[in-house]
Amino acid sequence: MRMDNGRIILHIDMNSYFASVEQQANPFLRGKPIGITGKNQERSVVATASIEAKKLGVKTAMSTWEAKKICPSIILWPGDPEKYADIMHRFNAIYRSFTEHVEEFSVDESFLDLTEEAQDYLGATCMAQAIRERVSEACGPHITASIGIAPNRLMAKLASESVKPNGLTVVRPHEVLNLLDQSDLEDLCGIGHGIREHLSQLGIESFQQLREFPLERLMEEFHGYGLWLHEAAWGREVVQEPSHTSEPAKSYGHSYTLPFNTNDPVVLKRYLLGLADKVAWRLRRDGVAARRISAHVRFADFSGHGEQRTSIEPITDGLRLFKIAWQILAPFLQHAPVRLVGLTASLISSDPKRTSLFKKEQHMQSVLSSLDLLQHRYGSGIWKRASTLPVEFKSRSSGFRFDHEL
Amino acid sequence: MHELLNDPIDVIVSFKDNRVLPHAMRWNERDYKIDNVNLVHSAREGTKRVFYFSVSDAANYFKLKLDPELLEWRLVELYADG
Repeated sequence: MRMDNGRIILHIDMNSYFASVEQQANPFLRGKPIGITGKNQERSVVATASIEAKKLGVKTAMSTWEAKKICPSIILWPGDPEKYADIMHRFNAIYRSFTEHVEEFSVDESFLDLTEEAQDYLGATCMAQAIRERVSEACGPHITASIGIAPNRLMAKLASESVKPNGLTVVRPHEVLNLLDQSDLEDLCGIGHGIREHLSQLGIESFQQLREFPLERLMEEFHGYGLWLHEAAWGREVVQEPSHTSEPAKSYGHSYTLPFNTNDPVVLKRYLLGLADKVAWRLRRDGVAARRISAHVRFADFSGHGEQRTSIEPITDGLRLFKIAWQILAPFLQHAPVRLVGLTASLISSDPKRTSLFKKEQHMQSVLSSLDLLQHRYGSGIWKRASTLPVEFKSRSSGFRFDHEL
Repeated sequence: MHELLNDPIDVIVSFKDNRVLPHAMRWNERDYKIDNVNLVHSAREGTKRVFYFSVSDAANYFKLKLDPELLEWRLVELYADG
């Protein structure tokens, strides 16, 4: 654990990122309320609303029907994750040309530690302007960013979010309390609705009241998080030292919202098998195998069911993953139409690549190796099982990862 | 009107500073002059990299795909205002 001493942190947040990229690409979308959705728009959510749509009340993660109700003129536009990923790599490369200390917080937000490179806040401000110009040149003038500069990540993020779009807010160490006192508790990254409610029950409605609240009582109420809240109220950030070794994945999973609710076992089997093949491909690609399989469904009424099974043998074959997942789910699928299916493989170990004693399994291993070579060469989606031909998995745009880069 | 397509097209381009700049295209036996190249991005198809050009004229937005291995252009997306 460490505290921030004399650091200069820049937080950069692309404004309405996916929507801005589409407005850069397509001039007929500029100045209009647009919402970036999944490919199946009726059952999707707004992944990003344009600045114009936000002004009319559309919010991120709002369902498309709700967005249409609030803003009938909204143009719903299917997301293009590969485009957003390519632009993201472009601006991240620009950040790394200014400092090697770049932390990618999400697909469109990063923290840059400029303590050494900028030396002071004036230097950091000049670097921020230079970053903004370089991003505009490389990505286009309609892709804009809000920037905050402060002594730690928490305050830098709060600063960047205080002026949107295209803001540049500098908060020096002696100004952090002022920034906090002008902000609502929920404006701070780390205080969500639940914590806000809990604080409210304790009579805390502002950062000033949070500062004055005894630390011991905060610790009683929030345990370890009480210290974090106390420090945050003083504009300080309690940071866990980052691990310098990249940890291997603990699980591999996929879920998918079906284009229509159904309890037709044939349709559900097709989607589940397709998901199992996706998971199995990633396991084999990373040279690992899984022994625990979890499967879950969400029903039309948003209730759900999920269970897990543990296998003695490590698994890398999609068909075997599917069979276990289907055993888990089949008894529960008569209750109600299903909206979403999902499958996760965990208890990961390196794949021993043992040759099976059984001829049929040997053939399957050999076929999968050949299919993997094809997939490496031509990309995922180059093959699918005949039984999954009628189903199509459409790509999604999420704020935290891109499916095609998994 | 927004349409997803995959139609082969002819494109007139220039090469400058290691960049490809499309100037005009022929689709459905009609010529379109490209007024603006708004965004260029690439994507992987396995080990192959393909390039997408988001371009527009006064009334239409086109997304063009260039396969550099096949030197083939395709119109993959069309949006007409109004």
